[in-house]
Amino acid sequence: MHSSDAVREGLIALLPRLRRLARALAGQVADADDLVQVVLERALARSAQWRPDAALDKWVFAIARNAWRDELRARGRAQHLFAPEEAGVTVADGSDARHARQMELAQALAMLPPDHREVVALVLVEGLSYDEAAALLEVPVGTVTSRLARARATLQAHLGNDA
Amino acid sequence: MNPIDDDTLQAYVDGELDATARARVDAALVQDDVLARRVRQARALRAQLRAAFDPVLDELVPARLSALLQPRAVPTVAPLEGGRGEPAARRRAPRRWLLPGAALAASVALLAAGLWWHAGNELVRMRNGEPYAAGVLGRALDQSLASEPDAHATVAIGLTFRAANGYICRSFTVRTPPARAGLACHAAAGWALPVLVPAAPPEGGELRQAASGLPPAVQAVIDARLRGEVFDAQQERAARAAGWR
Repeated sequence: MHSSDAVREGLIALLPRLRRLARALAGQVADADDLVQVVLERALARSAQWRPDAALDKWVFAIARNAWRDELRARGRAQHLFAPEEAGVTVADGSDARHARQMELAQALAMLPPDHREVVALVLVEGLSYDEAAALLEVPVGTVTSRLARARATLQAHLGNDA
Repeated sequence: MNPIDDDTLQAYVDGELDATARARVDAALVQDDVLARRVRQARALRAQLRAAFDPVLDELVPARLSALLQPRAVPTVAPLEGGRGEPAARRRAPRRWLLPGAALAASVALLAAGLWWHAGNELVRMRNGEPYAAGVLGRALDQSLASEPDAHATVAIGLTFRAANGYICRSFTVRTPPARAGLACHAAAGWALPVLVPAAPPEGGELRQAASGLPPAVQAVIDARLRGEVFDAQQERAARAAGWR
């Protein structure tokens, strides 16, 4: 099998997870799927660079993270990427209370700096280990954990979670 | 005993500690209410994030995305059509069907090609770009009970359950050739079809539990959605009476 075929078939299986990661990074559905489209195009174009002994998901997620950073840069750092009131409307069903809670979460996520948001997306949403996230982001593990801790503090302060 | 620092507590919540370190935190939590509360809060945040984003896994993939992953125009038509008029060379890589994502992507491609008719009857209708059950399939999903199987019915119902996102889902098999199997989930606009793939026709056409021998692609989608118990006969009947809500 050509590597391009292997990558394409792998991407088909990976699409749902890639969309979830993109949603966690980009927030709004349309922006997230635009991001997924860029990622798929890049991954297919670079399929020769993927080595079959490397995990395809990490390779693709790294492309996704870099594509998201490119998009942020293109839009300008000062500008909020997405209107918070539109962000994160991921599920149409559910009670008003649940909906309100999701909006609150989307707004809290939108407030995070990109450094923090991506570790939240990779570790807390996608479930990568600290080591995996650190390798993907090309930073030390300690950087991942400190960003994650600060991101958690911001989110919890904003959400006022009681337990 | 040394106090548990913030990094250790976070690593505990994220499942990053080895057994020894974990046991140390477990022991500390029993004695320290403040610590225990922080763990609960961190876990609640994780759970909230998963609850917000995991439903994306169950969404139908937009056609514009899955189309990017099609090797040719619509080569995956071949299996569903049972080989009718399709050159063997285009019937490639049947293992694609083992992947739920592949089934999804191919489903969208098939719909785009205007297929999914059954013996002249429409089985699937597009609404807002998403496939929904129609015709005999829609009626069977609305009315048929797995607990009252009809050996002569075109559509056999398998499992009924409430999915993680709250919708009721039912697996089914279209028995008459070309046989198909899939999963339907009852959404506001009708029975959405996250997966519909070719299936081996039931042997001899005899009465047979429709849930057995489901294609792996369908089983994978069920596994991804099933959280609680599969409905028993009484729950299935009650769900029908409640309009599958």
